[in-house]
Amino acid sequence: MSQPRISVYAGSADGNAVPTRIIQGEKTLQARTSHYIAIDTVRDELIAPNPFAQAILFFRGGANGNEPPLRVIQGPKTLLSSPDNVAVDATHKEIYVAQFTNDAILVFSNTARGDVAPLRILRGPKTLLDRPIRVEVDPINNVMAVVNDHQILIFDRTAEGDAAPKWILSGPKTGVGTSIGTRDVKLYPQGKKIIAGGLIRETGPGATAEESAPRNAGFGYRGQRFIGAWNYGDTGDVAPVVALNNTPISKIPGSRLAINPAAQELIVGGDGVVFIYKLPEMFAPAK
Amino acid sequence: MLTKLIHSKERWYLALASLLVASCAIAPNFWPEIAQAQQAARTAERRTLILDRAPARSIADPNPVFRAIAIDIEHGEVFMANDKESADTSVLVYPSQFPPTDRIMEPKRRISGPKADLGMICGVAISAQHGELYSVQGESGTINVFSLSANGNVVPLRQLDGVTPRSTAGIYLDAKNDELFITTEHVNRISAFPRVFKEDEEAKRYIQGPKTMLADPHGIYVDSDSDEIYVTNHGNWRETVPGEGERRGPDSLTRSALGYTEPGRVLPLAPSTGKFIPAAITIYARMGQGDAAPIRTIQGPKTLLNLPDGITRDPVSDELVVANTGDDSLLFFERNAGGNVAPTRVLKGSRTRLKGPVGVTIDPKNNELWVVSWDNHIAAVFPRIAQGNIAPKRVIRTAVDNAPMASMGRIGAVAYDAKRNEILAPN
Repeated sequence: MSQPRISVYAGSADGNAVPTRIIQGEKTLQARTSHYIAIDTVRDELIAPNPFAQAILFFRGGANGNEPPLRVIQGPKTLLSSPDNVAVDATHKEIYVAQFTNDAILVFSNTARGDVAPLRILRGPKTLLDRPIRVEVDPINNVMAVVNDHQILIFDRTAEGDAAPKWILSGPKTGVGTSIGTRDVKLYPQGKKIIAGGLIRETGPGATAEESAPRNAGFGYRGQRFIGAWNYGDTGDVAPVVALNNTPISKIPGSRLAINPAAQELIVGGDGVVFIYKLPEMFAPAK
Repeated sequence: MLTKLIHSKERWYLALASLLVASCAIAPNFWPEIAQAQQAARTAERRTLILDRAPARSIADPNPVFRAIAIDIEHGEVFMANDKESADTSVLVYPSQFPPTDRIMEPKRRISGPKADLGMICGVAISAQHGELYSVQGESGTINVFSLSANGNVVPLRQLDGVTPRSTAGIYLDAKNDELFITTEHVNRISAFPRVFKEDEEAKRYIQGPKTMLADPHGIYVDSDSDEIYVTNHGNWRETVPGEGERRGPDSLTRSALGYTEPGRVLPLAPSTGKFIPAAITIYARMGQGDAAPIRTIQGPKTLLNLPDGITRDPVSDELVVANTGDDSLLFFERNAGGNVAPTRVLKGSRTRLKGPVGVTIDPKNNELWVVSWDNHIAAVFPRIAQGNIAPKRVIRTAVDNAPMASMGRIGAVAYDAKRNEILAPN
């Protein structure tokens, strides 16, 4: 790459598309390794982390070019430590940051500016937080999902202190966790779905021929990328309701995710490309 | 009896018909497989509905880009790093002398493929004396060594892996002292390794810590005559601890510099130290070690530094040459410059075709200056003493003239803006 940037494309873009706008330049205060963009639909703002300068940047929703952020959260009181992700709850006017370095979730006001302390902190042994890399919030059903090293943890939205998760997706049937490639989690409030991908890096020595097959009818077998959807309330070693498997047809490029429920589209980023899948099955309501 | 049976059959038909009608009413627009899969109370027996579907659309730039450059003056070849994953990351080798053309030029050789393990290659250096090419991966920090004549999907001659912190930016070979230097953005660090390193050899020495004022370091140049190290910095600063980024298993000082799967220490919640400082060139003693302060710094509004990246020295004019990515320019400074000083000259303007310049090198034999621009897929060749808004003598390009600018690099996230019906991707 050349310089840190956010490239913006039309929702219908296809092929080697020209971005509709690019947010880049020294004034934007961006850094490489921004692993999340949150969109505050109420305030019409883009929110991006800067891990190297330990800051959270808020831009106009339609920001373009070398445009400075509207405001920045940064300073000793923030307790921010290499933040590379941020999620927003526009309804309750809060933003969330998963702190990989110290096993914590920090929550700030979405109007915070400068050197401000978090409104609340989720941290402690009961939380089971272990190298959390992403957090996502559902303001309608009041839950929060966290991608952990070998799990996805679901908490009450307002959990703080040493609160235990209410549901845990973990185990070989789930195939999720940072250590096996999960890099993102999305919540679909209307369908009460948890959507996440996994990547099992290689075919292990114990894998059967069936598990090692290039196209296996099962989901999440060794060495295969997939993106799955679970129902709210699923807990334990539970297979997803629906899974898009990586095959020569689907060619899943990674596990960075966005969803467009209105068009029933799953947007997947990775390997230098963005793929858009039409997956109505993934957006079917939970029963 | 017969009448009774008929009546019984009719009752069955009626019941079956009622069931059919009821099931249609209950499950409009609903897949039976989903219904089966979604029995929330029976998650242990759930059978996942498996989908195998091609993407409806895809956004990708198929054209290679130029991320870094090194020149082999003796053999008249330039080596360029292509870090575009959607165009198979590679090292592309071109002749340094060729007739001007505006057509896409095929490389003489291309190192690429799973055996080469180039990853997100972000830097290259060469040694004509030893016939070696050195590359470094931006994501993992892995250093690979290839023969200068390597071609295709070849295994590196040597590889330094699992030792360096992730998010490396620049690499430089100090030929006189036989050392390789790399910079690491995540942990504000300069590491020095012997050129002939062992597979998992630790750095011989490193510069890292709050006094260093390293702030998101990128390009690096080592002057073995003056015994100085020059590093360009974007200006994203946080306080680092010497030793951060070293892989020590559960005792590693910083998890975030090691990759997601390394355990590392759980840091206490502590006051944040991050801040934005102006872009700078920081200069250190070559043998500096640990938390070593720069011996001088080029920084301030007169310098025009703006997201500076690749850096080298013109051996003829003794100037520092800096690829100034943020404002599409090339800046030249006196080698001994320090403080808030203006460049001695600037190469900038629409005629230069500089767009996101990231790498620079000098060919003293042919009196030429090479600049690679990531955004427009172009390597441009200028007279060595070029300045102002002048056109290059010739260019190497990997995309047609009206191709979209390269805009997506390593995709760390995607987002969807429902209000504008837009897809967003950061590098």
